Amino acid sequence: MIELDDLTVTFDDFTAIADVDLRIEPEEFVTIVGPSGCGKTTLLRAVGGLQEPTAGRVRIDDRVPAAAQEAGDIGFVFQQHTLFPWKSALENVVFLRTMADKSPKREKAHALLRSMGLDGFEEARPSQLSGGMKQRVAIARALHLGADVLLMDEPFGELDEITRDELGAEIRSLWRQERKTIVFVTHSVPEAVFLGERCVVMRDQPGRIEATFDIDLPTPRDTDVFGSRAFQEQVAAVRQTLHESYE
Amino acid sequence: MNRRIRLAATDAIYPAAALVAAVACWWAITVVTDVPSFVLPPPDAVLARLIGNPELYAINAWYTLEKVVYGGLVGIVSGIALAAFVAYVPWFRRAIYPYLVTVRVLPKLAIAPLLLIYLGTGMGTAIVFIAMITFFPLVLNTAAGLDRAPARHRELLRSVGAGPLERVRYVDVPYAIPGVFAGLKQSVTLAVVGAVVAEWVVADNGLGFLILMGSENVSPDIMLAALLVLLLEGLLLYGGVVALQRGVDSWLDLEGGGS
Ligand SMILES: Nc1ncnc2c1ncn2[C@@H]1O[C@H](COP(=O)(O)OP(=O)(O)O)[C@@H](O)[C@H]1O
Ligand SMILES: [Mg+2]
Repeated sequence: MIELDDLTVTFDDFTAIADVDLRIEPEEFVTIVGPSGCGKTTLLRAVGGLQEPTAGRVRIDDRVPAAAQEAGDIGFVFQQHTLFPWKSALENVVFLRTMADKSPKREKAHALLRSMGLDGFEEARPSQLSGGMKQRVAIARALHLGADVLLMDEPFGELDEITRDELGAEIRSLWRQERKTIVFVTHSVPEAVFLGERCVVMRDQPGRIEATFDIDLPTPRDTDVFGSRAFQEQVAAVRQTLHESYE
Repeated sequence: MNRRIRLAATDAIYPAAALVAAVACWWAITVVTDVPSFVLPPPDAVLARLIGNPELYAINAWYTLEKVVYGGLVGIVSGIALAAFVAYVPWFRRAIYPYLVTVRVLPKLAIAPLLLIYLGTGMGTAIVFIAMITFFPLVLNTAAGLDRAPARHRELLRSVGAGPLERVRYVDVPYAIPGVFAGLKQSVTLAVVGAVVAEWVVADNGLGFLILMGSENVSPDIMLAALLVLLLEGLLLYGGVVALQRGVDSWLDLEGGGS
């Protein structure tokens, strides 16, 4: 379980996030949506131990984030792909796991790349891959790491809409297969609703949680739900909350 | 790979032809005009110098090489070490970086006579002088290279519990390698220049000294022969750096396992 208690992060005298309380259950898929600059990245970095809280605390299965990092239990996927340009797709996937002091499993890495639709691109360098393929590699890498918690910061932010939808559906099915806890940050409301079991809406100045929605959509989901009434109503509800916070 | 070699082979025809043409022109000028051979000796006279006394050129090439290697190593090692301090010690960087950038403008050749006073006419002057010349491109390029590593790569490693040394080894160093070699390529060329200047100032031995002697005796054939050897030596050193870079690059690519 991920627990945030009164989490506050300030940069000099600027408060990026203030008094955030949040519980995330194991194997839950939580999305965080909010306008640019509201502190989503800061929040995710604090959860993953890349940002020291100014006040309050973060616990991941009763450990401080640094301990969870040490155990290789945190898998980040950043907006920019963060692949090493001098390594092939496969080497990138395997390498991070070695850095976590876990023994690499090449067969598993191959299988993950295949399941991400990257069959035949194992030896390709990042420069030879499209933006969507690079993010697929980055996701495969986070899965190969074997972390229980995946922290994704707008991983589809630089992709075109069709690729976003496709990858979103894939993330959903991976989540069901691999039973991960996923915290997924986005500024797209439809994406947040489509992906999450729960959607946290943030507002800014200072960044904090405005509301939390339990998403009521069928599982498994595919892109067909975009047309459904239930989906559209929930998108509208989240949107309204976002806009209300600006009145 | 195969294709690259073949391409290189056909590409080599053009510069080779240009070289032959240039030497032919040179030779033709010495034959057609009556320019005296103490001004422009014919190519075969230069060759005769080389073949007539190969030990002279070999031993002086060796002396020059020795200075380049010793001075170069001192400059390179201290340059990389200083770059690491600049990159990783913020207060040191702030104190020293402005000077590194401005001192670059100083024509370092002008310091050679000063070194002669401090260090005398031994090998020391040449070594310190070459070290100084090779040092600057390495510091600046290596420091810039170490800065090139994006913070997000370092953070990625941190997020899986990798320590600072692993971050240096697997992120900073690979990103810095191209900068280091850019610096090395400048340095190796400058080192040869530095060796020649040192040999002019100290006037003890080496190809630079040979050129100086050739000038005093008005023997352009000796000077040209020494220049030719110097050119080959410079190319050899530069080729060595290029080969080293290939080796390091392929080693880095294999790092983490091929397949
Ligand atoms: N390292 C930092 N130093 C100073 N200000 C920062 C830093 N990181 C983020 N901020 C500020 O904190 C606010 C929240 O940033 P961020 O968490 O990146 O927002 P989001 O991801 O929601 O767009 C922004 O106003 C940003 O400028
Ligand atoms: Mg962000």
